[in-house]
Amino acid sequence: MRTQARVLAEKVAGIRDSDLFGVRSGALPTWCPGCGYYGIHQGLNSCIQQLGLPHHEVVTVSGIGCAGRYPFFTNTYGVHTAHGRAVPLATGVKMGNPALTVYAVGGDGDGLAIGGGHLPHAARRDVNINYLLFDNSIYGLTKGQPSPSSPMGMKTKASPGGTADRPLNATLMALTYGATFVARLFAGDPNAIAEALVEGTRHNGFSFFHIYTPCVTFDKSFKTWDNLKKWVHPLPEDHDPGDLRTAFDQVLKDDFSLGILFKNE
Amino acid sequence: MLRVDVTVEVCGTAGDGTIAAGGLLNQAMSESGFSVLGFDSYPAEIRGFGRCVTRSRIGDRDISALEDTANVLISLDDSQSRARIPFLAPNAAVFFDSNPPTYIQEEDSLTSLLEPGTVLCGLPIADLATEASGSARGRNLTALGGFAGAFGLDPAPFRKVITRKFEAKGAQVLDANLRCFEAGYDFGREQLSDRVPEIFGPRNITEGPERVMLSGNLAIGRAAIDAGLKLYFGYPITPATPIMEYLAAKLPEQGGQVVQMEDEIASIAAVLGSYYAGSISMTATSGPGFALMTELIGLGVMAEIPAVILNAQRGGPSTGLPTKTEQSDLHAAVFGGPGDSPRIVIAPTNVEECYHFTMKSFRIAEKYQTPVIVLTDFFLDNRVENLPMPKAGEEEKAHDNLYPSESDKGNYKRYAATDSGISPRSIPGTEGFQYTATGLEHTEEGIPDYSADNHMLMSAKRHRKIQAALADLPAPEVISPDGALDVGVISWGSTFGSVLEAVHTAHEHGMKVGAMKITSLFPYHEDLIRAFMNRCDEILIPELNFGGQLADLIGRLHGKDVIRMNRATGVPIAPSLILKEIETLVMEGGK
Amino acid sequence: MAREHLVIVGNGPAADEAAPFLRKGVPDARITIIGREVVSYYRPDLLPDFVAGKIAEEDLWVNPLQFYKERDIKLRLGQNVVSVDFSKMELALEHKEVVRFDGMIIATGGKHRIPEPLARFRELVLTLKTVADAKVWIEKLTRVESVLVIGCDLTSVVFTKAILSLGKQVTFFFDPSSPHLFGRSESIREQLAHKMSDLGAEVVDCSKIAKLVQTREDLIEVTTEAGQFRAGAVGAFFGMVPDVKFLTGSGLHIERGILVDEYLQTNFKRIYAAGDCAQVYHPELCDYWVSIGYSNARELGRIAALNLAGEEVQTEAPLSSIFKIDGRPINTSWWMEA
Repeated sequence: MRTQARVLAEKVAGIRDSDLFGVRSGALPTWCPGCGYYGIHQGLNSCIQQLGLPHHEVVTVSGIGCAGRYPFFTNTYGVHTAHGRAVPLATGVKMGNPALTVYAVGGDGDGLAIGGGHLPHAARRDVNINYLLFDNSIYGLTKGQPSPSSPMGMKTKASPGGTADRPLNATLMALTYGATFVARLFAGDPNAIAEALVEGTRHNGFSFFHIYTPCVTFDKSFKTWDNLKKWVHPLPEDHDPGDLRTAFDQVLKDDFSLGILFKNE
Repeated sequence: MLRVDVTVEVCGTAGDGTIAAGGLLNQAMSESGFSVLGFDSYPAEIRGFGRCVTRSRIGDRDISALEDTANVLISLDDSQSRARIPFLAPNAAVFFDSNPPTYIQEEDSLTSLLEPGTVLCGLPIADLATEASGSARGRNLTALGGFAGAFGLDPAPFRKVITRKFEAKGAQVLDANLRCFEAGYDFGREQLSDRVPEIFGPRNITEGPERVMLSGNLAIGRAAIDAGLKLYFGYPITPATPIMEYLAAKLPEQGGQVVQMEDEIASIAAVLGSYYAGSISMTATSGPGFALMTELIGLGVMAEIPAVILNAQRGGPSTGLPTKTEQSDLHAAVFGGPGDSPRIVIAPTNVEECYHFTMKSFRIAEKYQTPVIVLTDFFLDNRVENLPMPKAGEEEKAHDNLYPSESDKGNYKRYAATDSGISPRSIPGTEGFQYTATGLEHTEEGIPDYSADNHMLMSAKRHRKIQAALADLPAPEVISPDGALDVGVISWGSTFGSVLEAVHTAHEHGMKVGAMKITSLFPYHEDLIRAFMNRCDEILIPELNFGGQLADLIGRLHGKDVIRMNRATGVPIAPSLILKEIETLVMEGGK
Repeated sequence: MAREHLVIVGNGPAADEAAPFLRKGVPDARITIIGREVVSYYRPDLLPDFVAGKIAEEDLWVNPLQFYKERDIKLRLGQNVVSVDFSKMELALEHKEVVRFDGMIIATGGKHRIPEPLARFRELVLTLKTVADAKVWIEKLTRVESVLVIGCDLTSVVFTKAILSLGKQVTFFFDPSSPHLFGRSESIREQLAHKMSDLGAEVVDCSKIAKLVQTREDLIEVTTEAGQFRAGAVGAFFGMVPDVKFLTGSGLHIERGILVDEYLQTNFKRIYAAGDCAQVYHPELCDYWVSIGYSNARELGRIAALNLAGEEVQTEAPLSSIFKIDGRPINTSWWMEA
């Protein structure tokens, strides 16, 4: 008779055999407990497993920030580069060996501030890499300064009077730069992340994943787990990812609709 | 002393066909069997109004430098050529239009500035061209013909190169151009030949393989092609752009491509990424772009990722003098960037070395798993020399990565602190050898680690590795008689060409003088350099920068202060200036 | 503040004398010498000695280039003045360059005269005015043994002496009707004929040359009313005519040469002429005399320079040293030196 315990045991065996955790490296992540990055990590690992990508044929490329450590936690090849330079280096990796599957990862500082100049060109070039932008609207590794996606008026040690500048909208930028695959996701839903990543990895072109995630240590007021869970919702059922104008409209009117906003094969 | 040693300048304004005339002259003289070294200067602005000057040094022995003075000036625009008068040698021959369209005032004329003794070779350039072809467009060829006829040069090579240049444009155009040349040639031969000095000597055919005119930039491009390059990442910047453009045309022929990145940071990032993935690539830039690459060069050093970076030096600092030559990035190349970040820096001294050093750099970058910086300079990049087309041996082209052995699987240490300092490097796609390359200090396994012992261990490893490269890097060359020397002249880059000539002349005068060519700037061959210095009473280091960067680097190896000959002039140091310094030092030393 | 520009057209003895005096007299002016020859100033009077091998080429040259630099005198060699506009005070050079000036000394000297009947044989005869000419002679004389000297002007005498000293055979054509010195004065004629013979030249009375034919590379046959003559080379010494053709139409008063007063000034203010190209007014003679010879040229050059510099120096040509040739008064010390 198949008891619940038995079912559970089978599931555990299945997971072990599936090599799902083989994608993880032995190193313990350095992220704070409760960090959204764990969910993203889960999503990408799941994607790699679902696609059946040999781990030695995958390369993760990171910049500087909490996301910088990402490659160490995945049992793939990896490059931990300088601040803001993951995308162009990843471009070089992919062009150097097109057989590799390349994921560039980085935070909002890495991608929108110092690295902001590289995004348009990766999109224009439509190089077949996947770029995950971990957007927590804060600089975590350096202990809590505002980032280009921080809301106006956000108070931090570096902005005691509240930030004075308006935030950048990474999804809008990706669409504007002509990225041929743009998805907006939430670290609290690793399955959705995995699903989008699978589709994006398959997409032959520059795939951009804007992933909202909290910073539990330094942002207690804006992008908290509670707030984010409250704000996010799926894209409308009838959203047509093939239509650019629809994607723009969606992004301009709604900051938190999630899913694949645009895809141009 | 050369039997034939003539420097010919063609000077005009943009649109006169100055550069074309100079190019044809270089090729024709090369076809005639002479050695040629040519260097053009263009107006700085894109639009007209600027002065174009082509300088061609023609000789019967290999030429390694340009002198300051010209023996022949062919003026296509007298108002521009006036500026070249101070650079004429005594008894130089000046070709100019003796029937300009309007009268010229004394203060604007060319001839009013000439020193007595200058041989005036006036010919009605525009008239002859118009008579011959219906328009004055081919006047540059008429002037060239006048020069060739006056000196009694064989016209056949000229006709050959003119044909080669214009035949694609159709018979009519070619015919018109040839007629323009002939008209000038006949006039020169009939009217001017008895007044010009005999400076071309007997016609000289050099034995050996066929020679081609090649610039430093093209040599670099060719080397990249021959090395099997597939990827070039770069950003336009003077004077490196021609390399990118040459490769943009040629790489597709071998399945490769040029990717113009958004800036130099992206360029070096992509090079590192490509090498990380196992594919050789390169980028070429100049000072300002090189400065941007500083951080990622450091990444290459720390993460031990190969890269090939060509820095075509120009006047600095900052935007500096984009169209002038200089050798002032040595410090930046060797020491640039934070931390102890040793990397390999090599510098060719002539066009042939541009080829071979570029070729070599791919192998060395891979073997020593580090950025390799090849330093050229504007003069070297843009000048043309005639030489047999360089070819690389198979050994030069070979790949040289140290792969991990199967036995290391499961226990792979990407950054193993070996004796040589070189750790086996796995390439993505190799199962069981995954690792993350990182700019953080790391253990032998590649895991970030900040402990004291580890940082010492890995710093030592990286430094040891770079020093090991000495075995593969070109050793300094010495040109000198045996025994003790009064003066030793040490230099690098294109300046060495001037040193070589100066020292050869010194030898002919019986001076006890030696030259040392340094092409491996880092690591450098300390023992060999010291050994040479110990033979010399004085060490003279001429270089094209204000502070004396090579002197800073190796000067300490000499028992006493080296004598710096620093020039931040934007133009190559003439051999005669170096010779003068040598003579002064030899004389002073005698006292 | 523009300096005034003083130009010397010509670079012979008159010009060479004038230049330093001009510099001393007008320290602030810009001074330019424009010479047609590509070589610097040399002693034309020493050319026969050079041909004879008595002096080396270096001995012909007088001033190193440094000389001009030290005095801030611009030397333009190998450049030809083709016209002068005295109202605008501008001259034009051959290659269409216009040079403005504030004062000028014309010292262009003379050019060889070949009489009309012999003009068609121009290519066969050699003259001796320049260093280049001298070198042609030197080269020729290595191949020929005999020389025929026709024209019998003043230079012909010195030249004949020079050739004889080389051991060559010289035939000297003595033309009684020659407009030159000896033509008019019997005694001088006789003196000359004897002198030539004494030196070893064969003197032949001949006034009409019918034709010259080059029969071989180094052999010329000359047909005259006095018979057929053969020589390795033929030297033409028919005297000089002032080299002033380029000034026709300029408004300058020219007869055979440029007419100047006793201060050497032309009909234009601050324009002077000196040397072989000038005809100088002699107040006692009430006529113009022509200067010939090296020393005269130097003297006139000096006076022209001093006067252009603002002084007032008259030429001093003692009447006794003035001869008439063909109706024209000629002043020369040169004949005496021969």
